[in-house]
Amino acid sequence: MSVLSAQNMTMRFGGLVAVQDVSLTVHAGEIFAVIGPNGAGKTTLFNAITGIYEPTAGVVRFSDKVVCVGCTPQTIVRMVATAIVAGVSSVVALNSQQLWSATIDANYQYLQPFPWWEAVGDFGRAITNLSLASGIVTALVGGLVGGAASLVLWWRSRRTPDLIARSGVARTFQNIRLFNELSLVQNVLVGMDHRMSAGFFSALLRLPTFFTERERFHAEALALLEFVGLADRAHFAAGSLPYGFRRRLEVARALAGKPKLILLDEPAAGMNPAEVVDLMALIRRVRDAGTTVVLIEHHMRLVMGVSDRILVLQYGKQIAEGTPAEIRGNPSCVEAYLGTENHG
Amino acid sequence: MQDYEVFVQQLITGLSNGMIIALIALGYTMVYGIIELINFAHGDVFMLGAFLALTLLGAFGMEAWSPAWKFAGVIMMLGGSALFCGGLNWTLDRVAYRSLRKASKLSLLVSAIGCSFICTNLGLFWGGLPMGVFAGGVSAAAPKDFPQITPQTNLLGESAIRITQADVMVFFVTIPLMIGLVLLVNRSRLGRAMRAVAQDSTAAELMGIPVDRVIGMTFFIGGALGGFASVVYSLYNNTIGFQMGYRAGMDAFTAAVLGGIGSLPGAVLGGLTIGCVRAMSDQYLESRWTNTIVFGILVLILIFRPSGLLGSTRREKV
Amino acid sequence: MRWRPGPITLILASAALVPLVDLALPESLRISEAVRGVFLYAILALGLNVVTGYAGLLNLGIAAFMAIGAYAFAILTCEIYPFQIGFWPALMLTIPIGALAGFLLGAPTLRLRGDYLAIVTLGFGEIVQDVLKNLDTITKGTQGINPLPGPSFGGEQWTSSNELGWYYLLFALLVIVVMAVRNLERSRLGRAWFSIRQDELASRSMGIRVERVKMLAFSTAAAIAALAGGISASVLSSTGEPSNYDFQVSMLALCIIIVGGIGGIAGVLLGALVMIGLNSIVLVKATAALAAMGIGGQGNVLLSPNNWKYLIFGLALVLAVRLKPDGLLPPRIERSIR
Repeated sequence: MSVLSAQNMTMRFGGLVAVQDVSLTVHAGEIFAVIGPNGAGKTTLFNAITGIYEPTAGVVRFSDKVVCVGCTPQTIVRMVATAIVAGVSSVVALNSQQLWSATIDANYQYLQPFPWWEAVGDFGRAITNLSLASGIVTALVGGLVGGAASLVLWWRSRRTPDLIARSGVARTFQNIRLFNELSLVQNVLVGMDHRMSAGFFSALLRLPTFFTERERFHAEALALLEFVGLADRAHFAAGSLPYGFRRRLEVARALAGKPKLILLDEPAAGMNPAEVVDLMALIRRVRDAGTTVVLIEHHMRLVMGVSDRILVLQYGKQIAEGTPAEIRGNPSCVEAYLGTENHG
Repeated sequence: MQDYEVFVQQLITGLSNGMIIALIALGYTMVYGIIELINFAHGDVFMLGAFLALTLLGAFGMEAWSPAWKFAGVIMMLGGSALFCGGLNWTLDRVAYRSLRKASKLSLLVSAIGCSFICTNLGLFWGGLPMGVFAGGVSAAAPKDFPQITPQTNLLGESAIRITQADVMVFFVTIPLMIGLVLLVNRSRLGRAMRAVAQDSTAAELMGIPVDRVIGMTFFIGGALGGFASVVYSLYNNTIGFQMGYRAGMDAFTAAVLGGIGSLPGAVLGGLTIGCVRAMSDQYLESRWTNTIVFGILVLILIFRPSGLLGSTRREKV
Repeated sequence: MRWRPGPITLILASAALVPLVDLALPESLRISEAVRGVFLYAILALGLNVVTGYAGLLNLGIAAFMAIGAYAFAILTCEIYPFQIGFWPALMLTIPIGALAGFLLGAPTLRLRGDYLAIVTLGFGEIVQDVLKNLDTITKGTQGINPLPGPSFGGEQWTSSNELGWYYLLFALLVIVVMAVRNLERSRLGRAWFSIRQDELASRSMGIRVERVKMLAFSTAAAIAALAGGISASVLSSTGEPSNYDFQVSMLALCIIIVGGIGGIAGVLLGALVMIGLNSIVLVKATAALAAMGIGGQGNVLLSPNNWKYLIFGLALVLAVRLKPDGLLPPRIERSIR
């Protein structure tokens, strides 16, 4: 089964084609690497896969499903409801003074009991007596604008990174993006957020579910920090970590959501050789724990050491795909990285 | 007056006020374009420019001057207010914003709000000057009359539609300024440096562009535009007050957002739109609902076109 | 581990004792009435702190929600309207009404870039005043709605003369709001707020539903502000005119959280004490003192301390950002061996 498959992905920014017609399939339990020279479009590919960019063309499937808020009945109901509410409230808002005088002012006498039923009847009469412009036309315009607005908002947020993350795809960033003011545990807990169920009121009123959930996830976060070897710093601010540890914390944060697939963007950047060895072990442990790994990397020893398959990009196009041994023997890949002999 | 004449008249008023709003909006949009700051104090700098113009007018007794000298007086006020507002805006940047370049955007904005308050208060004190034009400074907070020193004859002769020297002046001042600004930004060395800093200030700095000086110049130019606008506004609307900066600033910033913040043509288009919407709403709906209508339009535009009419979407670097 | 009171507890405990201290003071120096203002603004600022401090969304129109709360309370209780549902139900209702207003403004606008949101909320603050002024059949325009009831305990209706009662009622409300905000802050939701404030894209990529979390912050803030509005209308027995809820009020609330320490409850409480203390204790007493000496008044604009208000607030903001960017009492972030 393929955990991730992307078909004919193209990503265009104005005139620049950053990714052109790239297809890839990643199987469950694999470590899959994407390599290529700087500017080959690797990170752009990641961003298009994780929903940060909307691909110009192409389809991404996770576990053979397209993750997207489709036009489900629920969406349509919501849209119609928004339109109706917007229509009715624009009529009421536009004629509020009139309606108020006809229902409240007309029936209420100072400190006398209020005849509610008459007021309701008057309200009905007042609303049916509205002129065409302030009644039906306003309702239509308001409803149309409301419906259109909800349509636009739905369209813009069909495929957002959070939706994709919640469907079991996690990632790290090339330029580390931790929450520096939060502690390590808190960072990991943010990654777990979408697995939690305690809502607003259980937090506000400190219901029992709040406490049980808190205990459970705190323990799990600590275990995860243990897994990446950062447990002893669990309560320090993430901003205080040395560089190599930050990458690991990012991995822990990504793993916190129990993803089926994790995308690592240059996890070894800026690491010294010893750290790279640790990282290789970590990546293998992640895979062995049941998470499929896709990584972008320049560090050849790491790529060749851990990956099962490798995809090579150059100028946004895929030029080769295969096992490490195949790639090593492929002249065009070697050329892409090292240049031909003539160029030195 | 015929129906169409009323409409044309409102259109003229709307366009004139729109040009003034646009001139202020340019100041917002330039500063926003370069350091992503809503320069809250800009509206109040504009207000202080109007107070300076009134002070000049009173100090020289321009009301008594002959028409030709009045013309010279207007030029003097324009120059004086532009220099003053530009200088003031530059000073604000130097004193209150420059040290916060590395701080969060929220702190920068809060600092700007603080500057706006300080300027408002200075305007209140200024209104208390014991001068004739400020009604002897007796009630400092009251709105001040700005004497009509431009002639008010109808240039269209007997026509029911009135175009006065004041309308003409608005366009004669604002249009050349806008053209000049576009040339400056697109053609000059300073303009190139400004665009470079706006795109990536670190890279610009590494290329040897004196970033702080360029930002300072942007503040100066934006402020100067506000200064020109303040004189035109005062001559056109004939009343000023220490709280007008807030109102004008709201309108102008709405215009900048409407047009797409950071875009110079956008600011002009936004300003004209707001000016016309205001004028039409005053005439055909109720003037007390005008602000609400402008706000409604702003919200609608932002829902359907979040980057404004002419703005471009910026992608966050990931 | 021994329990040690934190700054929040200390501030609240000392606030509870003010009326006792007042008993010992001569009449002209009593401050408990002014401290009620501190409580009100503290509630408002705690609301603003949720949206601006925690979630990092600049809201420049918090006073509008206060106005909505005040007018909702007034319409529901005042005897010139038929509803008259009484103090407590109306006060409770201001909370969902405020939240709904926050939702209606937030739903279309929360996806906007931060600065645009600031301007939309600023505009909203103006529009609400305009609307309240213009819908004069309903809201009585600039007259404001009055009289409004206070609570009644044991069948006895409070009037404004029950100073001690009002003091402790406001104090109790403040304590409740502090507890509510603290519970939210230390929860999954609070963590999500902090995370989007620091890096919206990263938290989105971690599966945080940013729009929803922002909306909760926005609505919570609006609800708290509306509660502050409702109770302030009840204290004054009138909504006052719509321009009582203008930009100045929003700015005062912003000053409070910036000066006190944005994002922390203790800081907000201290900020309220400092700013409102300045505004309604020092300035008012100074004006009174000057008037007693026969200077000030209309003659010279510089001699009335009230005219220095804007300058003082402006300087407070500029200097606070410059010199104490984290505020007088910064929130305790997870600190390290930095």
